[in-house]
Amino acid sequence: MNLELSDEQVALRDTVRRALAAEAPDQTWERLAAIGALDVLVPTSRGGSGLAMVEAAIVSEELGRARYAGPWLATAVAAVRAAGAAGASFVPGERTAAVALPWPGHAPAFTLDATGRVHGSQEHVLGAPLAHVLLLPARRDREVVLVAVEGVEAVAEAGLDATTSLGSVSVDGADGEVVGSLPEGALDAVRDDVLVAWAADAVGAARAVLALAVEHAKVRHQFGQPIGAFQAVQHLLVDALETVELFAAGVLYAAWAADAGDPSERHLAALRLKAFAARLATVGDIAIQVLGGIGYTWEHDAHRYLRRLLGWSVAFGSASSYQVEVGRRARTT
Amino acid sequence: MGVDFRLPPAVQAFRDELREWLAGNLTDEVRDAARRRGRDDDAGLAVLRSWDRTMAEAGWAAISWPVEYGGRGATALEQLVFTEETIAAGAPTPVNVIGINNIAPAIMEYGTEQQKRELLPRMVRADDIWCQGMSEPDAGSDLASLRTRAVRDGDDFVVTGQKTWTSNGHRADWCALFVRTNPDVPKHRGISCLVVDMRSPGIEARPLRTLTGDAEFAEVFFDDVRVPASALLGPLDGGWAVATSTLSHERAGAARLYAMIRLRLRDLVADLRDAEQQGLVDGDDPLVLARLGELDTRLAFLAVLCQRSIAATGAAASGSASLAKTVWGELEQDLAALGHELLGAHDPGGRWSVARLSTRSLTIAGGTTQVNKNVTAQRVLGLPRR
Repeated sequence: MNLELSDEQVALRDTVRRALAAEAPDQTWERLAAIGALDVLVPTSRGGSGLAMVEAAIVSEELGRARYAGPWLATAVAAVRAAGAAGASFVPGERTAAVALPWPGHAPAFTLDATGRVHGSQEHVLGAPLAHVLLLPARRDREVVLVAVEGVEAVAEAGLDATTSLGSVSVDGADGEVVGSLPEGALDAVRDDVLVAWAADAVGAARAVLALAVEHAKVRHQFGQPIGAFQAVQHLLVDALETVELFAAGVLYAAWAADAGDPSERHLAALRLKAFAARLATVGDIAIQVLGGIGYTWEHDAHRYLRRLLGWSVAFGSASSYQVEVGRRARTT
Repeated sequence: MGVDFRLPPAVQAFRDELREWLAGNLTDEVRDAARRRGRDDDAGLAVLRSWDRTMAEAGWAAISWPVEYGGRGATALEQLVFTEETIAAGAPTPVNVIGINNIAPAIMEYGTEQQKRELLPRMVRADDIWCQGMSEPDAGSDLASLRTRAVRDGDDFVVTGQKTWTSNGHRADWCALFVRTNPDVPKHRGISCLVVDMRSPGIEARPLRTLTGDAEFAEVFFDDVRVPASALLGPLDGGWAVATSTLSHERAGAARLYAMIRLRLRDLVADLRDAEQQGLVDGDDPLVLARLGELDTRLAFLAVLCQRSIAATGAAASGSASLAKTVWGELEQDLAALGHELLGAHDPGGRWSVARLSTRSLTIAGGTTQVNKNVTAQRVLGLPRR
């Protein structure tokens, strides 16, 4: 049993952090490619880094911390894992991708007709406006297949969080190339992986905004002392720390279980992350409270982190709907 | 090696061996006494002591102790597994848990050969009951301000003062007593630890009835009690270090936190199922399910936080341990509150009603949540002291 990052994993984290801090943000994608952060989940047999979800979570946490706005999660996790589930591979590089993952309990929104054309529409598809390739789960007769579609423009949704690209995809007779057939439960497993990596992103965002608030509490003086000397302020910040560290512990386990746990355990671990998502957003709330007036301004970054946390908290359904699902499972075990 | 939640095969084998032994030895009578631990129940206490003896004779008591003192020198992971398994099986916490985990390491480090030989085996078998004299009426969270004093007089110390919230104080044979031996130095530096025979003249222990109506604790009064100087444990005026460094062997205390809540959550689910069958609660009520799911989620995360603090070493470990304690106290309170809310009306004197009351102690005992937060704010977040 080892619950701390290895030297290699720490090195990966530091490398990603440096790549994101470098100048020329328009070159971020290329830098991520150069350090192996795009093909982290691609097996070595397909030319990838052949790492696991723990490493993907390490990358994702750094992206959240840096408020990265590109298509990494949609491409490097969703598309890679969806293609893998369909028995094929997608190797991220120059081409970006997105997967129209249905929400829990929903059937795929697309159908593939006998002539190989795709029909259907879906909203809130992560990364769709930035994708060169759309991977659409589609019903064909009694099976579900993954279909790759190119040249379809998704309509960007104006979400709360400008750094998370969501879009609606609508196709009616687009040419699709069948990537492979998706076994029962495969889409749920891919969504779980996306949730886990997205949760790691939220850890990064939460840690970053908490650090801003802690720093502020040390230097901002009122009534002749740093506001961080007031217990009322200290306790707010410790509450936020407790929330972040609890959640980070859950993410570590879920990321490990995604590759090494049994199927029901990996699914439950992912559900629990979403069940905690609303509480995680309180870290942003607390940070703004401690920052006070400056934290309520447009210029300050606090709201950008809060928006990112809120985006995660409503992705693929409300936190309370996941709490109900986790509670249902707790009742039957 | 990267992150890996699996236990090594040897620890897994240890788990299997323990599980098998518990299955063959743990009786319903002992389980029932375990549930009632802390309540006023002399018959139950006798069962618990007898169980501790059984455990000791089979080599399953005080496994964290070094082999030379009758332990197993268990590793942190073995301790973690031991705690998980014994609690999941419904086995009791040892009567002398504070003695085994907190007092014994100090005896091993500072005690004379005679003390070690006479005191430790009887402690682990619960032949003697131990208590720890720390809290006082005016020294709760601020423990170092304790005022019970010991004055040297010939070959003795003469002890005068009062302790309170002394677990098992009215039943104890021995007390690890923290006293002020030097009033003229900063408060942390004038404290010593004495091993006191509770039958000494001048000691009076009165049961302290808590808000549940039970007497788990005592107030202990010391009136010119003569204690031989040889009872000093550790250096004179070095008692604060004895008090704070006694956790050297016990690495898996944090496992008790999540393992207990796992058991309680299992109890709640079982009781809800019974109540549902009697038509008393709607088990599919989404509000109830959401609260169960939220508790289950916090519990799962807490378990990882605790496991990290056990598997890790150094500063990282103590940081997560203090967070874990706060999370644990609030989680048990919330679990008890849900149990009482759903089941209390149908079982007014039942375990959820008692738990609803008794769990208030969890954010007070061993350092209040508020003091804990002050410490975390300053040590982990680096915020200034006022």
